[in-house]
Amino acid sequence: MATEMTGREPVYVWEAPVRLWHWVMALAMVVLAVTGYFIASPLPSTPGEASDNYLLGYIRFAHFAAAYVFTIFLLVRIYWVFAGNKFAREIFAVPRSMLKPSWWGGLIDQGLYYAFLKKEARSYQGHNPLAQAAMFFMYLLGSLFMIVTGFALYGEGTGMGSWQYKLFSSWVIPLFGQSQDVHTWHHLGMWYLILFTIIHVYIVVREDISSRETVISTMVNGWRVPKP
Amino acid sequence: MTPTFYEVMRQQGITRRSFLKFCSLTAASLGLGAGGATKIAHALETKPRVPVVWLHGLECTCCTESFIRSAHPLASDLVLSMLSLDYDDTIMAAAGHQAEAALEDTITRYKGKYILAVEGNPPLGDDGVFCIPGGRPFVDKLRRVAKDAAAVVAWGSCASWGCVQAARPNPTKATPIHQVIDNPVVKVPGCPPIAEVMTGVVTYIVTFGRLPELDRQGRPKMFYSQRIHDKCYRRPHFDAGQFVEAWDDRGAREGYCLYKMGCKGPTTYNACSTVRWNEGVSFPIGSGHGCIGCSEDGFWDKGSFYDRLTNIKEFGIEANADRVGATVAIVAGAAVAAHAAVTAIKRARSAKSNEKVEK
Amino acid sequence: MAVIETQGFRLDNSGRRIVVDPITRIEGHLRIEVNVDAKNVITNAVSTGTMWRGLEVILKGRDPRDAWAFTERICGVCTGVHAIASVRAVEDAIGIKIPDNANIIRNLMHATLYAQDHLVHFYHLHALDWVDVVSALNADPRRTSELAQSISAWPHSSIGYYRDLQSRLKRFVESGQLGPFKNGYWGHPGYKLPPEANLMAIGHYLEALDFQREIVKIQTIFGGKNPHPNWLVGGVPSPIDLDSPGAINMERLNMVARIIGETIAFIDQVYIPDLLAIASFYKDWAKWGGGIASQNVLAYGEFPDIANDDSNKSLLMPRGAILNGNLKEVQPVDLKDMNEIQEFVPHSWYKYADESKGLHPFDGVTEPEFVLGKNTKGTRTNIENVDESAKYSWVKTPRFRGQPMEVGPLARYVVAYAMGRPEFKEPVDMVLKKLDVPLPALFSTLGRTAARGLECSWAAHKMKYFYDKLIANIKAGQLATANVDNWEPRTWPAECKGVGYCEAPRGALGHWIRIKNAKIDNYQCIVPTTWNAGPRDGKSQIGPYEAALMNTPMAKPDEPLEVLRTIHSFDPCLACATHVISPEGKRIATVQVR
Repeated sequence: MATEMTGREPVYVWEAPVRLWHWVMALAMVVLAVTGYFIASPLPSTPGEASDNYLLGYIRFAHFAAAYVFTIFLLVRIYWVFAGNKFAREIFAVPRSMLKPSWWGGLIDQGLYYAFLKKEARSYQGHNPLAQAAMFFMYLLGSLFMIVTGFALYGEGTGMGSWQYKLFSSWVIPLFGQSQDVHTWHHLGMWYLILFTIIHVYIVVREDISSRETVISTMVNGWRVPKP
Repeated sequence: MTPTFYEVMRQQGITRRSFLKFCSLTAASLGLGAGGATKIAHALETKPRVPVVWLHGLECTCCTESFIRSAHPLASDLVLSMLSLDYDDTIMAAAGHQAEAALEDTITRYKGKYILAVEGNPPLGDDGVFCIPGGRPFVDKLRRVAKDAAAVVAWGSCASWGCVQAARPNPTKATPIHQVIDNPVVKVPGCPPIAEVMTGVVTYIVTFGRLPELDRQGRPKMFYSQRIHDKCYRRPHFDAGQFVEAWDDRGAREGYCLYKMGCKGPTTYNACSTVRWNEGVSFPIGSGHGCIGCSEDGFWDKGSFYDRLTNIKEFGIEANADRVGATVAIVAGAAVAAHAAVTAIKRARSAKSNEKVEK
Repeated sequence: MAVIETQGFRLDNSGRRIVVDPITRIEGHLRIEVNVDAKNVITNAVSTGTMWRGLEVILKGRDPRDAWAFTERICGVCTGVHAIASVRAVEDAIGIKIPDNANIIRNLMHATLYAQDHLVHFYHLHALDWVDVVSALNADPRRTSELAQSISAWPHSSIGYYRDLQSRLKRFVESGQLGPFKNGYWGHPGYKLPPEANLMAIGHYLEALDFQREIVKIQTIFGGKNPHPNWLVGGVPSPIDLDSPGAINMERLNMVARIIGETIAFIDQVYIPDLLAIASFYKDWAKWGGGIASQNVLAYGEFPDIANDDSNKSLLMPRGAILNGNLKEVQPVDLKDMNEIQEFVPHSWYKYADESKGLHPFDGVTEPEFVLGKNTKGTRTNIENVDESAKYSWVKTPRFRGQPMEVGPLARYVVAYAMGRPEFKEPVDMVLKKLDVPLPALFSTLGRTAARGLECSWAAHKMKYFYDKLIANIKAGQLATANVDNWEPRTWPAECKGVGYCEAPRGALGHWIRIKNAKIDNYQCIVPTTWNAGPRDGKSQIGPYEAALMNTPMAKPDEPLEVLRTIHSFDPCLACATHVISPEGKRIATVQVR
């Protein structure tokens, strides 16, 4: 569902756990993308004894640590879907929202607005339908894909007895063909999330400037405030 | 009464002492520990030699060549004492009709009791005419012999995955054997597989009378459950960020990690870095060349053996993940910039018109 | 078919037709059909390659630096020969010069293969044609020991050794599970060895089986594994650094030296004495199986002593051709001359736009077309007899200046002998003298088998030579093993072509590559077995296999021991030669990699 702004009163949209999750997630994604890139294309060699160096080891550690943070915060966030307010449910409820014609109307409206075919967009308390769709299909499914393929690759290292292997590697690797293919698709997934991030940041900045309500500060203090 | 494996070995002048030594070596190579050696000894003392039929389809015979390199057990002991290799066109004395008669005799007399080992694969294109030993398509022979086999072993990447003749565009429609027969298949991939891995698998089946534990893709866990990378002696250089950057550079002579030279050790399940090759003398990485991933499904079609990032065929021959990703990111960045520009222009215009209205 | 006169042979397929398929103890799948007259003499022979893998097609569009790995998988028996030809072809096309050490290491690895491959061929693929396993049960161990000691200083020759061996053999036979010896032609009148010689040979069959895996460890040291070691365009992958644990160092070199010593000892003390002893009982076979060996032989040359130089000044095993039996004049061979080496397909299961013409491999085409002649017996998927007047093999028909050529150890020895190279001439003269046969005896089944043995010994001693050269280089401070100046494809010309030669253990091997925009545009291989096993050409000229079988008397046509002897003397490798199917006819399949 999408809730349109009804009045000119500030609305408390993003609760503290959602805000915290958002920023931790953003940070984790930056760490994952940078370290992931350097795992695939390592920096120039470091001289000296192997025992004196651990560069790629640290990079991989940072990648795995950030991956756990990313995964755990997503799990907590999923818990908050049930514990939090209605806005906490929005981006997870897209499949259900898609059953409602009004949601599609909002989506089309928003699309026309971004295509400069419509002058004004509707105002929403949380996310507009187009934003919800992007969040669901790009961010949420993209993240799940990265978690599944990432843990499948991680499970290769922890070995056949590990829970990572049993839960992920054991079926993901045969599904893709072989380990090499999983690596390749995991790498592509990074670019998919980078694409999402570019669009997300642009739209947020744009909306913050042009829409009638606050956007960026909302993710800081939780309140969506109509601009004077 | 058929003599047992142990009896045959003794008859052939092998002492009890070397027999037990063989058992413990086999146990060690199978990762079974000291108790395993006793079990193997017991099994071999009480069982007759198991008949083996070894068929060749489209292949290069590298599996057979590898097999005869086995150090423990020696191929000669295996062939003369442990198994009864009743049909194998690469080494058998008989030819033509006499060879085919030997095959018929074995699969009839030992119905349900023989092991079928397959090297190479059947081509299914054009009615199978691309491989017609005996004047008939190999696939028919394979199906016929597989029907009453007690166990089927797929030697090498040809039988397991398809290997080089199945690389794109696979002109003969070469097909891995599990797709044309109904039996469960033990896959022993590699091009070729390591000699002691091959003989280890056979000895396991003969000794314990059952198939070894397999992973989801049908490979024995005892040899294929870890990546070469996991046990590579150059792994510390990987973690340290020390790589060979060019052939024969300082790093190459120091024995640095070959990751940047396209080594597929991190994605390849095989025992090369543990069992090693030719009685443990070396393995590809140990001799300065990266792993080419020869025991993995479709390893021929993942781009150059010297590339770190592999090709993604869905995006055309030339594309790897970074090229696809960077292209998309640049396009998205340009689109965002353009969209922002249009937005700014529209805003400026509407601001002007607002001003006009106010005037 | 009418009677055909060609090259001094009279082909008559009116007699009884014998089919031998599969030919066992070879690499790959081969079918031989012969006709015999009332006296059981072979009057017509047809060799058919019965498999095709299509590697030429697969190689198109790939990275040329990867080609060695693909082509190496053409054959796992003579492993590495296609890799050598491939890296040479790419280096020739791009203009890469390899360091001296890389040349030496390649030579050493290649000589290692010669030693191992010839040894395995003699004992495990060929010996059972001459050695009767069952007869060995009647041998007297004492006399066997005396025989062994009279021909060699090899230490495993005591009475006890042969007594144990015999009792092991006896139990094996009595077990009823004969394994690979099942249904052999034991007791065939063609077997001439006394029981003692049979027993000795069986002992060496087993010893050779255990020893051959030692020899190849040299390939493992430099190439990481065997079969199918790793190679590199621009050099070899294994670096040299005496002061590093990560490269070829003293320990590695010591292992190489030890293996070379043992290899020379085994070949000179076991293989060569056995060969001479067995040959002395089969002098008849100096009359049969010659085929076209006395007329046309071809060698591309091998073992360049000077890196990047394939002239006869550099090649330790010379390049050249003998035509029409003229040993006085060795013809030069130019692999790039578009008119010298050509492939024809009138009797092969391929399609050319104009099949009356041959194509040089640079312009080679490999388009399969499986059609059987109207005189074929059986069906497409159940061939009883092929029709050799139509297409009948997956092997193409290569010709040198329009002539069929024999390749292999015998061809190499004939070319080197004609050029008067003492390393080759003296051992040949020694063997002829020892067996008391004249020079023409060389052109026979026995001559082919003897040349292979001599060559095996030559190669083993050359291993030592290359090792000493490597040590001298290292001593002089030369450590380079790879030239990476042109490693990156951006440094390559947009279009180029090159040829890679190699003398595989089985004979002359060539790879022809065209590179366009850093990708393979066309790739063709003509392999030794293509030359030897290829079907007839448009002028009905027969190739080496078919010619060699002609006029051989068979004792019992149903037990085709004589066919096996002659065909095995060529050491067939059909995976190499194959573009195949197996009909009946006289041709063997050639393999082409494009």
